[in-house]
Amino acid sequence: MITTLIDSPVANVANIARALRTVGADLQVTRDPEVIANAEKLVLPGVGSFIAAMRWLEEHRIDAAIHAAVQRGATMLGVCVGHQLLFDCSQEMGATRGLGLVRGEVRKYEGALPVPQIGWNRIQSVAGRGPTLFDGVENEVFYFVNSYAASHAPDEVAFADYAGSFTAAVQRERVFGLQFHPEKSSAAGLRVLRNFVAWT
Amino acid sequence: MDVIPSLDLLGSQVVRLLRGDYATVTSYGDPESVLDSLDVPRGSRLHLVDLEASRSGRPVELAIVRRFAQRDLRVQVGGGIRSLADAQAWIDAGVEKVVIGTVAADSPDVLRAIVDALGASRVIAAIDVRDGVVRVGGWERDASTTLDEVLTRVESLGITEALITDINKDGAMCGPSFALYRSLQTKLRIIASGGVSTLGDVVSLSRLGSVGGCVIGRALLDRRIRLAEARARVATPNAIPERIIPCLDVRDGRVVKGVNFVGIRDAGDPVECATRYETEGADELVILDISATDSNRTTALDTVRRVSESLFIPLTVGGGVRTIEDFRALLRAGADRVAINTAALRNPQLIADCAREFGVQAVVLSCDAKHVGDRFEAMVRSGKESSNVDAVEWCKRAEELGTGEILLTSVDRDGTNAGYDIELLRAVTRTVRISVIASGGAGALEHFRDAIEAGGARAVLAASLFHDRRLSIGDVKRYLAAEGIPVR
Repeated sequence: MITTLIDSPVANVANIARALRTVGADLQVTRDPEVIANAEKLVLPGVGSFIAAMRWLEEHRIDAAIHAAVQRGATMLGVCVGHQLLFDCSQEMGATRGLGLVRGEVRKYEGALPVPQIGWNRIQSVAGRGPTLFDGVENEVFYFVNSYAASHAPDEVAFADYAGSFTAAVQRERVFGLQFHPEKSSAAGLRVLRNFVAWT
Repeated sequence: MDVIPSLDLLGSQVVRLLRGDYATVTSYGDPESVLDSLDVPRGSRLHLVDLEASRSGRPVELAIVRRFAQRDLRVQVGGGIRSLADAQAWIDAGVEKVVIGTVAADSPDVLRAIVDALGASRVIAAIDVRDGVVRVGGWERDASTTLDEVLTRVESLGITEALITDINKDGAMCGPSFALYRSLQTKLRIIASGGVSTLGDVVSLSRLGSVGGCVIGRALLDRRIRLAEARARVATPNAIPERIIPCLDVRDGRVVKGVNFVGIRDAGDPVECATRYETEGADELVILDISATDSNRTTALDTVRRVSESLFIPLTVGGGVRTIEDFRALLRAGADRVAINTAALRNPQLIADCAREFGVQAVVLSCDAKHVGDRFEAMVRSGKESSNVDAVEWCKRAEELGTGEILLTSVDRDGTNAGYDIELLRAVTRTVRISVIASGGAGALEHFRDAIEAGGARAVLAASLFHDRRLSIGDVKRYLAAEGIPVR
């Protein structure tokens, strides 16, 4: 099965492409809405600003293409800001609407620790959520770079602590999101990507 | 571990004495306003010391203590409690626990009488130590017993908490006595006191395992530590691992290693080294292009591209970055973060510009510091030339301009294997909030521990030690884990 990586300019596409190929993905990289709408397995990367990333999706009608693909049963993965875009909205610069594929909202860290969070952090998988992408790496350490995150999201499958619990990963039916950078999380990160590529 | 704010009272003011000397008083003003300014939450423990009582042997600040006790704070008070009557006076004023010092060391019978009357749970034994010797009477004379004897006696009375202060460290901001606390063999719940001056100190104490609490005085008053942040870090001390970072010094596409930045020798192919390090468990990789300041940059970009293609951990690249375009080129070549050094010293605005363009997380300040007289100077041109800028002030300024992290290299220690420069690390980590990577001097396992524990570094970097396979990254991680420092 082909994995379709959305070629967002608000992302480090090269790194995630390399990681996906390393774990055996048959990869195509595109920003064509028609190709995206027909994809069976989609990856939405992202770094930096939620607003800039969302605006780019809307301007190129990729938001609609993603919805079409998911409605047709595609399996989808959002990474970092791509994960945040899956939510209903973000509080970045007031409220900005997201794709609404998972429930909840993304907020700026308000804990006592410095923002952004830059570095490794240990996640804990939520018990009883059935199979997830964390098969074999349920409580591993992953690499995060973020100022915003959801917390206690209804679709949370893994959480971590940064002066308070935040959502490290979500899963709703066939839509997955990872707040951390699997492509920078060494063997554990590659394991998560491999689990996604192998997901049926 | 409990993080307990501490106020010293003298003349109804909050004060600090340097090394217990009543002649060197710094005043912080009215106790209640001081307490308000520290954001001490309800239900918190509060440690008070009545300095006048400590000297004269009579409770003096009863009125203030009474007011604090009424504010839903769990007050413990110490200073000159030499009799049951003194202890009773404080208990009547509403304190939860009395902190008994001189008597605990000198007068076993009085201590026993106090415990019998008030109950052991309301007594904390306070033991002041200087150079391994127990001191009493406002630190002005030696006690006749050893630390071990005092601890054993205290324990036998059913007392569960002992506050241990290293007088040499108290208020001097040079860090607590990690070695002292590590060496204690006792079932008592130890409260560490003295020298806690950075957030890193609090975290390091919590990792010792032998320490159940720490009191913080001046560092809170001087805003070097925020109580809420310290408590947040201590609540989950193992969630965020400290990082081991191998460094590749690269020249003309080859890994090289020099001693004190000169006398360079070849150490291999960058891609092979990088892959080996990731396999060994490196948390991040730093590539410093040490030729870049002097020669062409195309080779460096190619090296970064080749390394990043086979690397799945974060990659920081530095060396010869002069402009925002140099910065962008390295990110495009596969770097996650870019370190700026000489160019930022000449044009500090470059830091702010890069932070705005690429995000604070992408900007690393690389600061090469050298001991010059009684300060550290920031060096330029690969450590060859002084900028005449104070290195600690420069790090602070870079943080304000938008640096995500500081890579702090001791030019004096680099390549010597004599250990990281703890004094340099402390000087910077007590001044900035962003994390500091210790660099220069790693030669043995305990150097890594000391840089993190005493230096306050959040990451430790080494080059030749790993290149020469004298230690593997796995060796360092196993050692740190055994020392209670979390690693990935």
